[in-house]
Amino acid sequence: MRANFIFSEVWIGLRRNLTMTIAVIITVAVGMAMLGVGLMINAQVGLMKGYWDDKVEVSVFLCGKGTAMPACNGKEATNGQIKALETHIKSIPGVKEVYFEDQTAAYKNFKDSYSANKALVDAAKVEDMPQSFRIKLVDPDNYQPIVQAVQGQPGVAQVLDQKELIGPFFVMLDRLAFVALAVAIILVLAAALLIGNTVRLSAFNRRRETGIMRLVGASNLYIQLPFVMEGVIAGLIGGVFSAIILIMAKVFLFEELGSFFGDATSQLGWNDVAQTITITMVIGVVICVLASFVTLRRYLRV
Amino acid sequence: MIHFDNVIKVYANQNRPALDHVSVDVDKGEFVFLVGPSGSGKSTFLRLILKEERPNGGAIHVAGKDLSRLSNFKVPHLRRRIGCVFQDFRLLPNKNVYENVAFALEVIGKPRRFIRKVVPEVIELVGLEGKAHRMPDELSGGEQQRVAMARAFVNRPMILLADEPTGNIDPATSIGIMKVLDRINRTGTTVVMATHDAAIVDSMRKRVVELEDGKIVRDQSRGVYGQAY
Repeated sequence: MRANFIFSEVWIGLRRNLTMTIAVIITVAVGMAMLGVGLMINAQVGLMKGYWDDKVEVSVFLCGKGTAMPACNGKEATNGQIKALETHIKSIPGVKEVYFEDQTAAYKNFKDSYSANKALVDAAKVEDMPQSFRIKLVDPDNYQPIVQAVQGQPGVAQVLDQKELIGPFFVMLDRLAFVALAVAIILVLAAALLIGNTVRLSAFNRRRETGIMRLVGASNLYIQLPFVMEGVIAGLIGGVFSAIILIMAKVFLFEELGSFFGDATSQLGWNDVAQTITITMVIGVVICVLASFVTLRRYLRV
Repeated sequence: MIHFDNVIKVYANQNRPALDHVSVDVDKGEFVFLVGPSGSGKSTFLRLILKEERPNGGAIHVAGKDLSRLSNFKVPHLRRRIGCVFQDFRLLPNKNVYENVAFALEVIGKPRRFIRKVVPEVIELVGLEGKAHRMPDELSGGEQQRVAMARAFVNRPMILLADEPTGNIDPATSIGIMKVLDRINRTGTTVVMATHDAAIVDSMRKRVVELEDGKIVRDQSRGVYGQAY
């Protein structure tokens, strides 16, 4: 096998079909980038779900002195009611743990959360804070039965589930991932067709050479390898561009997203990005090789 | 060397067979002219030897191999033992004489050192010494055909097939081409030449096989082109 011969043939082929090669590179780059972004969104969603599943809890706010909720009728929850409520909550299936947040603890949390807004913190007093039960769930996605079981119990002002608040956000991310993957599939198809056409053009351009190669007994590998290599090289260059796009997506998109909706543990790590890049590159090159081979079977009978 | 036994070839969508029960034996080192009008099956005969086409009936043996049993994978190895020359030369226009001849060895993976040694030898054999760096469009038709013959012979094939090699060349130059073919034949290479050129066939006095409508109508040693033409 004479590598330099194959590579000079590949170089000639790529140069002759420069515009087609560029089209292949762009399509592969965008297609693989979309695929990568889709995969990365999926990974990110998984990470953030894990983070939030640890955090989310159902908050059961109790009636306070001045609570305006209709369920309270203006009456403060009695100690008896609180006790009864605690036993009731513990008996509900799917409850992992329950703890009671009194007014002092609530005030401290409030101060921490709104430390930037000094006026608000100053205006609030410990007595204004509601007492609440915080419930951790065995399955954070399955919160409705617990919420229903607690709602309407005596002394309960309001039941809030954080999952309900962040749910739509995850739905949106899932949709984004789905759209990215759908676009990726379409572009991968387009890339395969483009590569097929490029190889066809290339085979037509070099029909003299391949004719002579067949005649003097060059092996199929020798005849076909330059064409397949053209596809591989275009696929690899496209893969490099898609890697750049993915790295930029990580820096400008996912790091922002992660810092808004989680902490360091919910950040998409560089090894995730490297993994995604590897997967997309392999898929890109495999598609190029397959498309080249299928076209060669049709247009370069040996 | 070449053995056809009741070979039938019918192309798709055609009623009349291109070759109809053809049986021929060509021995090692023979020089055979294949004559006959256009469409008589000469080219089909040559294509069958190269296994570019498959016969519909009968058996073909080339260089001791039964072509019907030769797997597609091994066809290139068969073709390495057969050189080919055509009417239209089929040179690569962007390569010079040396590169055109060397190409045939490069694509079958011969080492560079071997190529540097044998290519000049064969260029000299066909009488193109000193013109190794000319491009094909700087050469006359006769010279281009010599390059094609050098390319066909550079791998020292056992068989050389020539499909009307003098078809695009004037009679005076054709004599030179025939001398080269004769020289190649004298090295022990079997030569099969399909031609329309009566003068050449008559002057060479070699074996003549005449085809008409896919049938062999004449097979004589030291023959001539024939009265009918």
